[in-house]
Amino acid sequence: MSEPLVRKSAKAVLVALITISVMFPLAWMAIAGFKGREEVLRSPFQFFPDMWRWQNYADILRDGQFSRAMIVTFVGAVVFTVLSLVVNSMAAYAFARLEFTGKRFWWVYCIMPMFIPAMAILLTSFVVVTKLGMLNTMAVLIVPGVASAAQMFFLRQYYLNFPVAVEEAAMIDGANRWQIFTRVFLPQSAAPFVVVGIGSYLAYWNAYVWPILTITDPDLTQIMQFLGTFRSERGIDWGLLMAGSTLASLPTVVLLLVFQRYIVSGVRISGIK
Amino acid sequence: MALLESARTGRLPAETVAHGKPRRRGKGRRDNLTAYLMIAPMAVLLGIFVMWPLAYSLYLSTFKISFYKDPQFVGLQFYQYVLESTDFWHSIWIGLYYALIVVPAGILIALFLASFIKTLSKRMAAFMKVTIYLPAVVSTVIASVLFTFMYQDEGVVNWILGLINKAPVAWLNDPDWALPAIAVPGIWLGFGITTLILLAALLDIPESYYESAMLDGAGFLQRLWYVTVPLLRNVLLYLFVTGFTLAIQMLDLPLIMTNGGPTGATSTPNFFIFNSFRDMTPYATSFSLTASLLLFAVLGLISVVIFRLIRSDKAVDG
Repeated sequence: MSEPLVRKSAKAVLVALITISVMFPLAWMAIAGFKGREEVLRSPFQFFPDMWRWQNYADILRDGQFSRAMIVTFVGAVVFTVLSLVVNSMAAYAFARLEFTGKRFWWVYCIMPMFIPAMAILLTSFVVVTKLGMLNTMAVLIVPGVASAAQMFFLRQYYLNFPVAVEEAAMIDGANRWQIFTRVFLPQSAAPFVVVGIGSYLAYWNAYVWPILTITDPDLTQIMQFLGTFRSERGIDWGLLMAGSTLASLPTVVLLLVFQRYIVSGVRISGIK
Repeated sequence: MALLESARTGRLPAETVAHGKPRRRGKGRRDNLTAYLMIAPMAVLLGIFVMWPLAYSLYLSTFKISFYKDPQFVGLQFYQYVLESTDFWHSIWIGLYYALIVVPAGILIALFLASFIKTLSKRMAAFMKVTIYLPAVVSTVIASVLFTFMYQDEGVVNWILGLINKAPVAWLNDPDWALPAIAVPGIWLGFGITTLILLAALLDIPESYYESAMLDGAGFLQRLWYVTVPLLRNVLLYLFVTGFTLAIQMLDLPLIMTNGGPTGATSTPNFFIFNSFRDMTPYATSFSLTASLLLFAVLGLISVVIFRLIRSDKAVDG
């Protein structure tokens, strides 16, 4: 497949432009990690530091609390993501493809949480998990968010696009609904699972308010909670915060690099030609 | 014996269906048991961690809560206070205005980016898929600080304006510009995930549809409008509904970049709620709780409208 040279170079320019506009703020964050306490906020705007200092990065990496928070949060985020994919994809399939009594009621029941402002139930959620004795456990960080109306809604919309013909063929072969879900739908779900899975992972990773409310045990401190401690009573140490944020974003970048390959053409359409 | 009997009678209807008449297919078929088992985990979790707190919030909103006195039942009094507050309605309007900038712009940019990535070679596409998602990796706090810098009087944005001989703008201090200005980081933070979602959906459209459209002489925009958009209906509905509910609830950007100002120009609903909470006026808790419950009602209404506008409960080929 050879393209004309003009077209090829136009594409390269566009790729470069998009990359620069997206990366500029991120590069600034990483470079601000090399700056001193006050230097980050100095006006007028300055991209590079006066002097490159490794101090901030070194300090954070040497801090045992940082690496522990990274590991604890990573494990929590992975468990959270897997659980939410299981729970939400099952419900999504039922709403996309099955007919059952009371479907409308349960649809409204499951989709409504999407519109509830977090603030409306933040304090009462805290009361509920306290009553359930869940404070200071991994469960309080993971379980309450697993059922996600938005994620279920996304997967349901995706499953609506699945060809009915494939399903009918499987039914003629004698498969029941559960088998169709696990053997036909799940194997074709890699792309949507990666897209919403990364979203769940990030939602867990970047959570700040909920861990602060529910976790006081230093062994369970989450990464954003840890970064929050840089906002001490002496004001925010911006250089340290930027360095910490840069390091904290690395695992997500690695995950993206690994999983982006699954966002490719589905095979299911070609399968029924 | 009775047990056996009931087991047999229990199996009987199924057998009659299997042997007596052809299996019903299509609309009339019901799979109650399978369906209930599949939605049960979600329904139970939502019941405990969303519906219970919500019911509790609704209950609390009918009380006057203060640190000094016992809660006192006041019925719907706070609902009346909030509904009569012009600041509340102003914030709803600001939230809508913000969402009307961020959501369509974000989806449009993402649609073009996704179509573009689709045409790239495998390696370039892999690179772009990671790159465009990177802004979402950054927390809103960092993004807010960063864009505040770029909007400064001597910041990057005004420097670019200077290049094309335009007068500098006080972006965050001008009531007309402040909201569009904070909408830009809003778009920047969100378009990565939107692009990936659209890309995943685009990749599922059979190439043959485009080929036949091209044979009919359809240009790029025509193919986008007549082939891509109708086939993306299900995904677009999702993007509009979640985009609107998320955008109207934006809190971090106005909180950090403008503190709701100038003159309330960026006071989004959640900012208004947060502000009345930290105001520490008497009964601030009850007032902000009630305001957030009313915001829920507003969001619900808007989404019903969007659901009606984009009907999508059918399979594309079904």
